[in-house]
Amino acid sequence: MASLPKRIIKETERLVTDPVPGITAEPHDDNLRYFKVTIEGPAGSPYEDGLFNLELYLPDDYPMEAPKVRFLTKIYHPNIDRLGRICLDILKTNWSPALQIRTVLLSVQALLASPNPNDPLANDVAEDWIKNEQGAKAKAKEWTALYAKK
Amino acid sequence: MGNVPTKLDQDGNPIETVSRPGYPSGTTGSSSTGTTISTQSGTDGRTRNKRATSLVSTFLNSSNRYRSESLQDGTYHSPHKRRSTKEKEQMKEQHARNILVKYDESVDGGFMAPFGSYSYDKLDYDTTVVKSLIIQRRLAPFYTPLQDFDSSWSREELLKIVDGLPLHESFDENPEEFEDIPIGDLNKSNFDYLIDKNASKKEYRNLHSKIFRARLYRKRIIWQETENESFLETKLEVREGKAQNSYLPCDDLKYDLYSNGSECPICFLYFPEPLNYSKCCQQPICTECFVQIKRAEPHFPHEEVDPTKPIKDDSEKDPNLLTTEPSNCPYCATSNFAIVYTPPLNRKVGIQGIPPATYTSQSKDSETKEPVQKDEKEVPTISTPSSNNVVSSDDIRPDWETKLNKERMRLARRSANATAIHVSNQLIDPDYTSTSNDTTVSSSKRSTNTTSRQGSNTASRGGRQRSRQSMNDLENQMIQEAIRLSLEDEQQNKSSKTKK
Repeated sequence: MASLPKRIIKETERLVTDPVPGITAEPHDDNLRYFKVTIEGPAGSPYEDGLFNLELYLPDDYPMEAPKVRFLTKIYHPNIDRLGRICLDILKTNWSPALQIRTVLLSVQALLASPNPNDPLANDVAEDWIKNEQGAKAKAKEWTALYAKK
Repeated sequence: MGNVPTKLDQDGNPIETVSRPGYPSGTTGSSSTGTTISTQSGTDGRTRNKRATSLVSTFLNSSNRYRSESLQDGTYHSPHKRRSTKEKEQMKEQHARNILVKYDESVDGGFMAPFGSYSYDKLDYDTTVVKSLIIQRRLAPFYTPLQDFDSSWSREELLKIVDGLPLHESFDENPEEFEDIPIGDLNKSNFDYLIDKNASKKEYRNLHSKIFRARLYRKRIIWQETENESFLETKLEVREGKAQNSYLPCDDLKYDLYSNGSECPICFLYFPEPLNYSKCCQQPICTECFVQIKRAEPHFPHEEVDPTKPIKDDSEKDPNLLTTEPSNCPYCATSNFAIVYTPPLNRKVGIQGIPPATYTSQSKDSETKEPVQKDEKEVPTISTPSSNNVVSSDDIRPDWETKLNKERMRLARRSANATAIHVSNQLIDPDYTSTSNDTTVSSSKRSTNTTSRQGSNTASRGGRQRSRQSMNDLENQMIQEAIRLSLEDEQQNKSSKTKK
């Protein structure tokens, strides 16, 4: 389909008129399927006070296929690897076309608040997280201050 | 990842019946396997696996390829197996014709084919099943959607918008996929003259299928545009009072349809009510989105990856482990997604109803007719049992199991081929050491070793000298490539260091 589906147009409009607190998503001028995203680190997590940049891309088969989301800001997290790829079930096997850009980004924010080192993507980080949670969290906080400064 | 573990297929669905109508059966050897299958069917997943294993090994054990093929055809799955390319192409053309929207084929104000919100190659549902479900009023028809709806629109405004609706979404006339592909004369069924005569068999097949798809794409646009034109012409004639047409909806029908609608939560388009509702959580879904929801492609079950072990290549896994799960509800993730549709009682128009042009709105004088309407409402609850109202995702793609079995067979064949090559290498070169350290050779693999050895023994003798030569060549090439890559790497490292 050459033209942009109504769903993407409406989602984009609704993201502007009714924004999600702590999250912004703006489409690029030259590609309306490609979004520049920022997520604020959730309060009470090691990512608090950080502002993380992400990219989000809606593939041709969206919403039957999940959007592609990737962290651009370096982050120390057991479910996010060096390249910023995110291990989140709804982005893979548990994707549902009833989910939206909005809900996906909320889930990513929730993943920051509750990491899951038992199903890791970054093995070394996960190991660190399991063996020495305090230390790992301190490191995540340190990285937040270093790379995700507002 | 924080995921819900994928469920294995544990439904008690009876295994697709072995003897299909119009299906060759009773070939030699088929009867024995056939009977074992039918007695095992309809129990659980384990028997299904067992059945598949036995058949796969029968297939692999059989040294006579033709015999084994007739065996699967007679007893097993694939009704498509032995179809010629021509037959397959005819089926594809028929499918393309079945998804054309025709204004004179309507049910309750909607159509028999989708408007076109999703791309053509995603419309792989069974058109015959879907059409008959729509006619039976068990699935909402494919209504033409409105991009937006504003409840403040007057009747005149709304009618003007509805009158301007096309039958089908506009087409991408020159998709990238078919950019440089010739289509020739569409009136001629043979297009072999477009293909270079010197092309190899593989190139020929490749090109043939590409040209066929490009031609079908174009044909479909032409067919749909013909429908659009006749729709427009009829509309114009009726408007100018030159003709009458009972298929065109009257204003009352158009207004009743679109003044009372809702937005589908998946495509965000506005449709006349009633929509289909999910059986599990009562959420609306338009028919166009419903036919998009299907099982995932056959895959191996999701395993917890153990980082200490090397990741198994898919070709090393047992093909019988391939699985697909029934699709989940997009709203509440309940397994085996199904919808319920309650057809409108006072709007039975089109096929098996009154002509759309003769419809009269009942809402205008609803007060006087209220008692009558109440009576009508009670009728369907008695006549249609609740199970009859449910349509599941699997219902509209009944070939899912055939596809799964086909994929299993394909993989089994591939792994047998790999084993054959591996074994013949050992035969050619006694020094050739196994690269596979896989100790758990699956039973199907082991059984092929014996067969393929017999076959390759004769085949390899002649080409022994040659294949050793080409093996050496290949090895040299690979070494050279490795050297080149490492040199390149080295250079890049150096340059990046100097930059820093």
